[in-house]
Amino acid sequence: MNEQPISQQDRRRRRGLIIFQILMYGYLLMMFVIQMYMYSQRDW
Amino acid sequence: MSKSISMGARTALDDHHDLSRQAQWQADKWMIGGSVFMGTAILGLIGLPLFMYGLMLQVRAQKIGLSVRPIIVTLIGYLVIIDAALNSFGWSLDMIANHTLLARVFLQGWGNLFDAGYYWHYNELWIGGATAPGEKAWEIALLPIVFCMRMAAGIAFLQMKRWGHQWLVVTCWFGVVIWIGYVANMTIFADVRYSGVVFPVVGWWLYDIFYITPFLAIPYLHTVNREIFSD
Repeated sequence: MNEQPISQQDRRRRRGLIIFQILMYGYLLMMFVIQMYMYSQRDW
Repeated sequence: MSKSISMGARTALDDHHDLSRQAQWQADKWMIGGSVFMGTAILGLIGLPLFMYGLMLQVRAQKIGLSVRPIIVTLIGYLVIIDAALNSFGWSLDMIANHTLLARVFLQGWGNLFDAGYYWHYNELWIGGATAPGEKAWEIALLPIVFCMRMAAGIAFLQMKRWGHQWLVVTCWFGVVIWIGYVANMTIFADVRYSGVVFPVVGWWLYDIFYITPFLAIPYLHTVNREIFSD
């Protein structure tokens, strides 16, 4: 009876979480790459 | 085993419940002991085998059919508690006990190897401890608010309490704020923090990636069947 809306909601939640993880890990990776670039340019 | 179903008589279900509780507590005793050691960082290597032994006891109890806590809940709960404890001890040492031999050896040792924020002009500000721009503000904001809350949430989560699950969700999202801000701070002040250290950039990331991992709990916490947690 209520299966459809729940699974829809579930699907949306899962999609949201995947997008969140891509953004989050993408951000961290970007910061790492920026720091590595700085490392290559500077005399640390 | 009693087959009576009269009021007050013990049933097989009661026995199963008692055995399960005993097995869980037996495993938890080892894991709590291990976590206490690991939470101090310095004594971490002593804690790991104790924790693994407790985990093995829990897996064994699960295999013989006892109703113990799901392994993923155990791993996330203890990971969060240990993470919060490590941060609390390290930063408390830096904020309050920054002139002790322990702090000067370990924090400055860490600073010399990976993060000059803990080496450059160490103990030269009026407040003492790390002098990296922004570092003290993070310590003041996160120690009494996030990490205390996180440890309480982790304990309640291990007890399978509903509020433990809810507050773990809250504090894991705090973790997102912390790491977005902290890593941005590291990058903006990279010239202060990586200058002259033994392992710049890669060393810091290798070490800190373990602190970042509690993020992994967010998808689980949002998709788990909440009915397994009770009031």
